[in-house]
Amino acid sequence: MIPRTFSAIAALLVVALLPSAATAHKLREQGVVVTIADSALTVAPPRDWNRLDGNIGKHVETWTLDGGQLNDLTFFAGIEPGKPLVRERSKKREPLPRFSASTLLVELPELFEATYRSAKELADFRVTEVQPTRFLERDGVLFRYEYVDPDELTRKGEAHAAIISGRLYMISFDAPRLHYFDRNIEDYRRIAQSARLP
Amino acid sequence: MRALFGLMAAAVLCGAIISVPAQAQERSAVRPGFVLPPQSGKKILLLRPSVRVAEQSTGGMAEPRAEWTDQARENIDAALAELQRQLGNTVIAAPEAYGEDARRVAEHQALFAAVSRAVIEYQFFVGNRLPTKKRDNKAGQFDWSLGPDVGKLPGADQADYGLFLLTNDHYGSTGRKMLQIVGLVAGVGVTSGVHAGYAGLVDLKTGDLLWLNADGQMGGDVREPDGAMKRVRQLLEDFPGSAIPKEVAVAEAGPEAKP
Amino acid sequence: MIARYRLALASLALALASSVQAEPALPPPYAGAYQPQGVDEQGLWREMDEEERRYSQSDIMIRDQALNAYVRKVLCDTVGHDRCGATRVYVVRAPVFNAGMYPNGMMEVFSGLLLRVRSEAELGAVLGHEFGHFEARHSLKGLMARRSGGDAMAWAFVLANLAPTYDVVRTYRDLQLTIIGNYFRFSRDQEREADALGIAYLNTSTLRPQAAAQVWERLIGEYQADALSKGLKKPRLDRVAFYATHPPQVERATTLALLARPDGATRDDGAERYRAALAPWLPQLLADQIKLNDFGASEYIIQSLAETGWTAPLWHARGELYRMRGAPRDLVNAAEFYGQAIALDPVHAEAHRGLGLSLLKTGQRAPGQQALRRYLTLKPDAPDARMIGLMIPQEMSEP
Repeated sequence: MIPRTFSAIAALLVVALLPSAATAHKLREQGVVVTIADSALTVAPPRDWNRLDGNIGKHVETWTLDGGQLNDLTFFAGIEPGKPLVRERSKKREPLPRFSASTLLVELPELFEATYRSAKELADFRVTEVQPTRFLERDGVLFRYEYVDPDELTRKGEAHAAIISGRLYMISFDAPRLHYFDRNIEDYRRIAQSARLP
Repeated sequence: MRALFGLMAAAVLCGAIISVPAQAQERSAVRPGFVLPPQSGKKILLLRPSVRVAEQSTGGMAEPRAEWTDQARENIDAALAELQRQLGNTVIAAPEAYGEDARRVAEHQALFAAVSRAVIEYQFFVGNRLPTKKRDNKAGQFDWSLGPDVGKLPGADQADYGLFLLTNDHYGSTGRKMLQIVGLVAGVGVTSGVHAGYAGLVDLKTGDLLWLNADGQMGGDVREPDGAMKRVRQLLEDFPGSAIPKEVAVAEAGPEAKP
Repeated sequence: MIARYRLALASLALALASSVQAEPALPPPYAGAYQPQGVDEQGLWREMDEEERRYSQSDIMIRDQALNAYVRKVLCDTVGHDRCGATRVYVVRAPVFNAGMYPNGMMEVFSGLLLRVRSEAELGAVLGHEFGHFEARHSLKGLMARRSGGDAMAWAFVLANLAPTYDVVRTYRDLQLTIIGNYFRFSRDQEREADALGIAYLNTSTLRPQAAAQVWERLIGEYQADALSKGLKKPRLDRVAFYATHPPQVERATTLALLARPDGATRDDGAERYRAALAPWLPQLLADQIKLNDFGASEYIIQSLAETGWTAPLWHARGELYRMRGAPRDLVNAAEFYGQAIALDPVHAEAHRGLGLSLLKTGQRAPGQQALRRYLTLKPDAPDARMIGLMIPQEMSEP
């Protein structure tokens, strides 16, 4: 029954049971400049963070303070036109929306929203604010959102994005509306401010 | 964004680590600096505990048993009150909540579940510990919180601490086999019957998690008053200020041996 | 559970010629408020009561009282007010075709179902089917039948119960990543029995029983459109749990048509009342569907809603669907659809926004900016007002 899902779970189970494979979360030290997802994008974290192990997309990496369910900071470092934001579970059957060469800055929140909705089969996702901003020393967009996750916890989020040389650069942060979002939103904003792209 | 993919993995991880021999995994922790001296007369608000008791049949299907669940709830409530009385604390049950209060309780319970998942995944499972937590942990770090909004929960103004309690039992019935898939994939056997307990003590002023005990292999048959007492003792054996003697490696006959 | 959205298609054709007696079904006499009997059932109810207590307070619920009351009314009109008294109805915000009835009388209705039925009779058909499971107490029978099961569900269920959450089973189900399937998965025969009961309720109601078959006919159409647009030859077997147990939809449609009372065909199906009741939610439900990035199914749903006449929200939704897919020809189409929306409703602010963006992207600068300017005039406090404002030349944005 359902071989695809089954083998995926089996694989996860094996990974979970190998302590050596599970130690790969990497420290991101305060003040030390690091590159993101083997791209030219760098940040200098103003406090210690953890880079979570695991690969959800070629140009994507996720940092956290307390675990992905409590604070999730994700970098999208140069998504190419024609590609989705994160890896698709099934390109054919469950395609994700794609960034394209004609995508406008003001449409990036829609792309992000549609990605979350499609990947999680969410219904309740609201973009609450879309503002012009400077990001990576270019004109960019800042947006805020709120959604109800499948674990029935309401989460809030904020993201900065810009399109540079035809590629999408974006940093997003989301956390439970209760306590966690307010507690660490400034930590996220300082990371976004420290981001550089030569 | 990672949570898109993480949730299933996390749960499988939790399941897996609980089946792994205990040395790879811790199961309880106390916030540094937190002490609860015996006979200090603190009031503890008990949030409606989730107590489920089911019979596990051959296929592993849990069949809920109403009278067991009722019995377990009564037994656990009684055991809890008795043990806290011995510790000099008073347990008060959270009042029934309505409307916005009820919604707020539900959101906090969901947050407690999320925080517990994170603690188990990223702290108790030492091999998977987050580097920031690992480093800090040399000083016995245990820094998790539900946030100060817990102070707005119904009944919170009447108490010092909040106790979240979750216990889930599946008793094996005759003929119960090992779960072969798990054994096959991981080389780990799952014992007959599932006995999981989670308990968390929260400071109702700050929301800080003062103590969490998460154990997937608990003893004590909660269907019996004695067993419930044992379970609650086990859940509370690391309870801050607790003088409850630890039940060191008492060889469990295993509830699966019982009907 | 009825059927999952985007369900499998295979073997539909096989079942066409099922042998069904054309005997209009009537429901059994109502036995009165039922109380659980025996350890299994009492345990099941207790667990569900606990679950309902928690679930009803979840953020995933739609708390609109008018909508909840309306859905409940349709259920009561269908199954009768005596039966209806045993139930609590909850409308859940989830973009999938589904509804469920729990053994203790709790019914959940997904918002994606409300988008996919067109009348009180159709909604009643689905809710009546779910109520049929309840009246026949299929959950309990399922529990007993699976006692000796040794499939993969066993360990998944155990793992699920190890994880420290108040209800992992539900989380997994909503994620649809699970092989657990539904806790209450019904057998094919049980689905047939529930279908028969559902149509029986409709037969005795004042609603048109022939509507029941339409639900499944339309669902078949949606699956076909979905598979076609994805270039799939085969159905979605990854939702195999339902594929395996639900009667194929074609068989279902045929059976339901035969069981419907012929003299009921002239009855009102409550389509207009349904449209009116759903109108405040329709734009939101359409948006929930369109943003799932499921072009074929979304287009099919919009078209089918438009059978009773195109409206501004429908044209706008279609514009959004095409603009989001974003190929050059899509943008040309989108601009036209937004234009249609504006023709019907000149103050539809979002249609002006979509029109402006589509025109800009196809190189029509001046009219595009004109449309965006109109958007800002109509909705000066839009969430993206400042961002859109930057796309309009200064002298234009200050009238």
